[in-house]
Amino acid sequence: MSLLRFSCISCVSWLNTPSSVLRLLSSVTAVLCLLSSAAQAAIADKVTRATVANIDVIAYPTAVKDVVTFRGSLPAGDSLSPDTNLAIATLTGGMLDQGTVTQDKFAIAQKLDAVGATLSFSVDDTMVTFSGKCLRKDVPLLIALLAEQLRTPAFSGEEFAKLKKQIAGRLQRALEQTGFRAGQAFASTIYPPGHPNYAHSTDAFLAALEAATVADLRAFHQKHYGPAELTLVAVGDIDPAALQAEVAKAFAGWSGGTRRLAYEHEFTRLPGSEHTVFMADKPNVSVILGQAVTLRHSAPDALPLRVATTILGSGFTGRLMATVRDQEGLTYGIGARIGNDTFINGDWRIIANFSPELLDKGLASTRRELKFWYDQGVTAEEVARTKTNLAGQFQVGLATTDGLASTILATLHRGYPLSWIDTYPDQLEAVTLDQVNAAIKTHLKPDEFILIKAGTVPTAAK
Amino acid sequence: MNLLRLSSVLCLLTSAVLCLQAAPAPVEGFTAVRTLGGISEYTLDANGLQVLVLPEHSAPVVTFMVTYRVGSRNEVTGTTGATHLLEHLMFKGTKNFNREKGNSVDQLLERVGALYNATTWLDRTNYYANLGKAHVEAYVAIEADRMRNLWLREDDRRPEMTVVRNEFEIGENNPIYALDKEINAAAFMAHPYHHSTIGWRSDIEKVSIEKLREFYDTFYWPDNATVSVIGDITTADALALVKKYYAAIPRAPKPIPQVYTEEPAQTGPRRVTVKRAGKLGVVGIAYKTPAARHPDMPALQVLGSILTSGKNSRLFRALTDKNLTTSVSADIGFFHDPSLTTVYASLAPGAQHDEVEKIALAELARVKTDGVTAEEVSSAISQLLAASAYARDGAFAVASNLNEFISSGDWTLYVTLDDGLAKVSADDVKRVANAYFNEDQSTTGWFIPVTTP
Repeated sequence: MSLLRFSCISCVSWLNTPSSVLRLLSSVTAVLCLLSSAAQAAIADKVTRATVANIDVIAYPTAVKDVVTFRGSLPAGDSLSPDTNLAIATLTGGMLDQGTVTQDKFAIAQKLDAVGATLSFSVDDTMVTFSGKCLRKDVPLLIALLAEQLRTPAFSGEEFAKLKKQIAGRLQRALEQTGFRAGQAFASTIYPPGHPNYAHSTDAFLAALEAATVADLRAFHQKHYGPAELTLVAVGDIDPAALQAEVAKAFAGWSGGTRRLAYEHEFTRLPGSEHTVFMADKPNVSVILGQAVTLRHSAPDALPLRVATTILGSGFTGRLMATVRDQEGLTYGIGARIGNDTFINGDWRIIANFSPELLDKGLASTRRELKFWYDQGVTAEEVARTKTNLAGQFQVGLATTDGLASTILATLHRGYPLSWIDTYPDQLEAVTLDQVNAAIKTHLKPDEFILIKAGTVPTAAK
Repeated sequence: MNLLRLSSVLCLLTSAVLCLQAAPAPVEGFTAVRTLGGISEYTLDANGLQVLVLPEHSAPVVTFMVTYRVGSRNEVTGTTGATHLLEHLMFKGTKNFNREKGNSVDQLLERVGALYNATTWLDRTNYYANLGKAHVEAYVAIEADRMRNLWLREDDRRPEMTVVRNEFEIGENNPIYALDKEINAAAFMAHPYHHSTIGWRSDIEKVSIEKLREFYDTFYWPDNATVSVIGDITTADALALVKKYYAAIPRAPKPIPQVYTEEPAQTGPRRVTVKRAGKLGVVGIAYKTPAARHPDMPALQVLGSILTSGKNSRLFRALTDKNLTTSVSADIGFFHDPSLTTVYASLAPGAQHDEVEKIALAELARVKTDGVTAEEVSSAISQLLAASAYARDGAFAVASNLNEFISSGDWTLYVTLDDGLAKVSADDVKRVANAYFNEDQSTTGWFIPVTTP
């Protein structure tokens, strides 16, 4: 695999996916892969949105030839698992592509493979999401398979047993990654049990996995799967009327499902603390430093805080990369971001990688930059530069069907109207220096930050 | 499955890109070489710089990329990783463009929201930016300037060395990456594909600024580079920009050194074992396979897909679906020189290395003996062609794919490889399996996790 000057600091997926160089795109490339003229158009005006078979169907035709990208979701994520078993949502979502009542998983895969189409499902804290891509002529096939897999999974006992082992195996493999372990420790520390962003222990999850039954999954599917809050976004060479007709046909007669619960998280202030996850033979230590915040993405202060966070920790000219990496050479990657704030108050974190022997020095530099940023604030020049940077990035992200589809779905998840996409540059432009500096002070308390270190940490007990 | 139909659809899909052929228009100061698939190739007469231009007007965005024909393949003992370290130092500035002046490449490109970076691999190093067309000229100016005017200071090398060393350490955290390094090191004794692009730790730490300067002065010349301009720009404007900023740069004063080392024939199976702390094992089985330009490459790609792509692939059914692996993959080497095709099987909890290896080998043997079905071939071709089409939408995606073909030694494969894929038959797949998947030319690696308290 090729080496990037800098890749996403928490992203090691490229290491796990050796594949043909010919078709291998970096994570950066994947974000950019479908440029279209839609990037400059008013998106909300070109979107066709309709309720079809009780499903929120959003179609956005672009100039891309013949390629259609799908994204969608319904609220059946992990936080909706019953109190008795935290693995039920993951398992139910995992069974969606293990065969239906009319055809097994191999038959479904063969239909997709034969036309080069893709369709996959995943489960996050709140949602089951699906993602697909096909040529224009194959839209009817993709919609039919999507409906069949969502509506009538087979829940075969044999496939269920296999899935349990696959999930356990994937979890074991994830536990070998310092970034995963640091993220898990962070989320289990800053969020209380019951919070959608809380990370359960591996042992608890494995025990739940073992105890789950097919009956549990059927009950969960019966309760949570349905069109009540199902969103389907299609972007690319799409005919909205034809899409709606296919959706109407494929999902006719389906009812039920649940709407997402409003979850109001009471912010729990925690004292600052340090936690080490010792892992042998890991010459890079993953570090997270941060805390939960009282902001959702849609909160008034969220955008000013994002501008502030970008100034501190985004790109090569962000303060952290410019000093801790470029000047001092202490890390390959360091950055700051706000996340997990789509549906609920999220968190603010610095993520970094350090060699064990440079860990203390790296942390000291990181804290120095953090303190300076917090105490002194940012400058008008930095704010101005960051606005153009963020606006440019946003536009480039919208220049792909993947980027467009993801942005449209995320916009709805965050509770915005679709016009938010078109007005985002103006909102960004309206952010003032005072708002940015005030947001830092209002929403962050560095003295109470939680520090996580995962890897072969020198001073940790072995 | 109607392959012809799919091929014609894909041809329509990318008609502007793939299916046009015409002689490039003559432009003063350039020698027009050819136009294929909408891409026009020119040579800048002043210094031999190869230029590829593909106008693509679907968005007001342009990708400008320079690919130097130097990678870790050009390194020797003591300088492993130098290509990559030099790539990092290329961002440290010149007397004309630097951070102190406020006009460094990072400052310019982040201010305008460009997506940019640089990458190094076995055969090449590339620098690129995808940005609004209004900003292209400013980027070309910086890119051309740093071709010959890089500062290359010891004060920059020292902190950047530890940055790169941390990148090395991040890679070492990953069992498959660690195993892949050792498989390649065992498979190649003489050829420089022996070492990975990141290099050996001691070389990263100790290579001197003088050596890096020597590397720069040997390989960073216009006649060892290809410039690609893709996106919302006319050919005339693109060439005018290239001429304005690159024409003054002289050719390399000496011939660019060519790698002449050939790997001797492998006459017996090789094995490596990596034991480290971890939870799950990995089996990798690598075979020597030909260079990217070899006519067997399309059939090898189809074979790789049949083995590991999707739920109907041979190894998914034999291993992952039986809960013996968490995933399987086939990495088909696509490089300038003969390289490796490696099948990776990531073990599931409780699975044994020898059992997984035995089953994987049995599946490979079954392909060699019984061949594959026409349906498998058809499905694999469809997947590969569709993936190719999905990856060709947009300037940046085109550039990053084209980059690998440039470094393979023949950029026109970017246009013609899909035609080769569409023609692959079941007989071809069986033939290449027998030609290359031979035990005596194999290198097998096991990652064995060591349990720690």
